[in-house]
Amino acid sequence: MDGTTIGALLDSAIEAEAALAELGESIDDEWTYVGDLQRAWTDRLADVADGPLGALPASPAVAEAVRLAIDEAGLVSDPHRAIDWLSTLPQVVLIAVGGET
Amino acid sequence: MRFQDAARDGRAVVYAAIQADPLVARAAELLSGASQAERVLARAVMNGESLDPERWRAMFPTLFGPDPAGDLARSEAVLAASLAVADRGDQVRSQLRGAIVEELTARLLARRAPAAAVRRERRILFDGVPAEIHPYDVTLEQPPAAEAFDCKWGARGINADVLHQLDDARIHAQDEDESLVVALVIFDAERSCRVRLDAQSAPHERTRLVAIEQLDSLAVASPPAR
Repeated sequence: MDGTTIGALLDSAIEAEAALAELGESIDDEWTYVGDLQRAWTDRLADVADGPLGALPASPAVAEAVRLAIDEAGLVSDPHRAIDWLSTLPQVVLIAVGGET
Repeated sequence: MRFQDAARDGRAVVYAAIQADPLVARAAELLSGASQAERVLARAVMNGESLDPERWRAMFPTLFGPDPAGDLARSEAVLAASLAVADRGDQVRSQLRGAIVEELTARLLARRAPAAAVRRERRILFDGVPAEIHPYDVTLEQPPAAEAFDCKWGARGINADVLHQLDDARIHAQDEDESLVVALVIFDAERSCRVRLDAQSAPHERTRLVAIEQLDSLAVASPPAR
């Protein structure tokens, strides 16, 4: 991710959120909540990506942090844990890039 | 309005053993003095799949980078305790996480109240009202307003039963001219909690939400119950 911007990292996190939501939606009772949760965090990540922070270059350490957080989310195979990560991943990513949750 | 210890049934005995696990006290003590980033680290690790501390350090460069924003030794201690929780089996991990949020709540409340006023697993009884089956996780039993807390690891734990129980208790207290502040303590982001609450039709307008960003407010007196 050398030379990447913080906005591009956040876009990657939004894609990871979509994958977590797809997994979490398999819990029928939580289908609506999962969709609402994904939307809320996607909006927040997109807001930061579109703001002043998004245009800044990401340091190698920040790029690696976001890559590892997305990797961690990708390890989740249990739908219940995916719902937990739908909320956790954006918090980790926003802290890494210096944004507010 | 009066408070009573929950019955020592099978559930209580099992749960008491979980609460007594030294890891619960260790994690709660660390988290009571932690920054928001350290609390999110704990949440991520205890929710996570990886047990490699190096991966987690790299995921939190603001805590473990060359110029850490906080206390590096404390961040390392939070990471170690969180990994110890994550290293347990799924069911035990889940029980420990819940117990940690309760213990954390109790420790933060004890910063503004005598330790004897902070109680666990208590029922609240009102004249002419059948007692709730489930006890309150944490109560603060001191005048002028008592407080009752339901503690959850994640926003998903918010449900209609919990909201009704808290709001019913508040109303019953009001009916007896007593004051009872009711609150949810959720070890998750406020944004996620709001999403969950917005979808609930159960009453919650008078239930205080303490999300991961506001945990330190537990150590400060609540606004009076309305």
